[in-house]
Amino acid sequence: MFDTSITLDQFIEAIGDTLYMVGMSLLIGTIFGSILGIVIVFTRRGGILAFPMVYSTLNVIINIIRSVPFIILMVSITPFTRVIAGTSIGTNAAIVPLIIFITPFIARLVENSLLEVGSGIVEAAESMGATPLQIIWHFILPEAFGSLILSLATATISLIGASAMAGAVGGGGVGDIAILYGYHRYDSFAIISTIIVLIIFVQFIQSAGNHLARLVRRR
Amino acid sequence: MIELKGIHKVYQKKNTEVQALKGVDLSIDKGDIFGVIGYSGAGKSTLVRLVNYLERPSQGQVIVDGAYLGNQSPHALRQIKKQIGMIFQHFNLLESKTIFKNVAMPLILAKKSKQEIRSRVLELLQFVGLEDKASNYPSELSGGQKQRVGIARALASNPKILLCDEATSALDPQTTQSILSLLQRVNKKYGITIMIITHEMSVIQKICNKVAVMEEGRVIEEGSVLDVFGHPEHETSHKFVQTVMNTDIPSRIKEQLRQQGTHSLTKLEMVGEHATQPILSTLIQRFDLKVSAVFTNMIDIQNTTLAIWYLDIQGDTRNKERALSYLKQNDVLVKEVTV
Repeated sequence: MFDTSITLDQFIEAIGDTLYMVGMSLLIGTIFGSILGIVIVFTRRGGILAFPMVYSTLNVIINIIRSVPFIILMVSITPFTRVIAGTSIGTNAAIVPLIIFITPFIARLVENSLLEVGSGIVEAAESMGATPLQIIWHFILPEAFGSLILSLATATISLIGASAMAGAVGGGGVGDIAILYGYHRYDSFAIISTIIVLIIFVQFIQSAGNHLARLVRRR
Repeated sequence: MIELKGIHKVYQKKNTEVQALKGVDLSIDKGDIFGVIGYSGAGKSTLVRLVNYLERPSQGQVIVDGAYLGNQSPHALRQIKKQIGMIFQHFNLLESKTIFKNVAMPLILAKKSKQEIRSRVLELLQFVGLEDKASNYPSELSGGQKQRVGIARALASNPKILLCDEATSALDPQTTQSILSLLQRVNKKYGITIMIITHEMSVIQKICNKVAVMEEGRVIEEGSVLDVFGHPEHETSHKFVQTVMNTDIPSRIKEQLRQQGTHSLTKLEMVGEHATQPILSTLIQRFDLKVSAVFTNMIDIQNTTLAIWYLDIQGDTRNKERALSYLKQNDVLVKEVTV
């Protein structure tokens, strides 16, 4: 029925690869990004542990990484990737640049979400004699939770886009199919099915994010 | 209980310095309900934040319950803060947590046991009249109910002091009254010293026993509420008193008096039971004077009546002098005023 050279197994494997790349880099990127986000909220001028030197340094580093488009970032850190992953091609190798790409992005999103929590909440926490860790854990994070979920949905969608580019350098995943079969072999079916899968992914993640955020927000 | 000595507070804003407080001395005794009133920008919000060191003074000393806050370690300072509850104009409740959890927060921070937290929170919710709202969220409550939650939360750690930063400014007059009554109960039942920041003189009138009037970073007048209401010395204090009690003779009446040839009146100020003495009949019958009350005003300040009367007293000069000294002996403050 379709004039295509990819098999269903290949396609399912590609979807699995995409999910693996996105999942792994999201997990690790979220851990690093959240910590980074919390640190820049704390150390900013007027923050709970104001430390302008730390803040400006991290701020500049985040901006630098975020200035580099993912495809350029990916090829420019190949030697580093080889050290970390032991190889510079394949799914595992793609995760390294994906983490470096998404960590500062998540840090910024986390920063924004945390800053949305009013200074009044922090003031109330301080008036109760809460420690800085208690302020973040018992006050800021719970209040920012809904917003953080939406931020993560945004980050995940960004990662799916980036992971498709990883396909271009042999990272596997649905992006790989689209480029290898769709672009180089004029296989329209490969491209269209890739697009459909991506649309479904993004729709699902955004709706799930909205739904969860509404659940925890209670406002 | 609270002592502020020579407090200066300067904010650095870009290249300019803003002097929020310019040498404030204030002393609040245990059990006081102390009101601080002033227009916005007078420095009163900064002042209240010094008491629990949310703001640090640029110069001067803050002493709370005998402890000088300036040389405390961060840990010791946090322990002191647990002795000082605070409520806010916009309540500052955690929207993501139930009313129960909100009130429990200070106890969770202090790592109290589950049972202890439960019994204390339920006791407090009952005290503020919200025992049926334990599992609701703040967004489901009215403004007055939210402030009740704020009060319950502030009381959770058994503080000695309660700071109220414009606690009723976001509430309607009726809700304000009920919150003020609740604060009065807090003061009576738990013996908690309360410091109230407000721009509404009616709040001072309703529950405070002492008041400080602030303007441009300074305390311009301080004293018992009855004294300040009776004879405010500063223009700004006078204006605040006028917002709840009109003690000035209206200009229309003044005009009429001048036309009648009356140029001076006798102002009487009476407090408490003296305010309800049969003054007029005594003056008329005993001293044979012709007395007319030109303008009178009575106000209730914490269950004490303050009465201010402007009388036009005509008659024999000697009789009038005897009458005035009789009034003075009866604790009536007498003053001749020109129209």
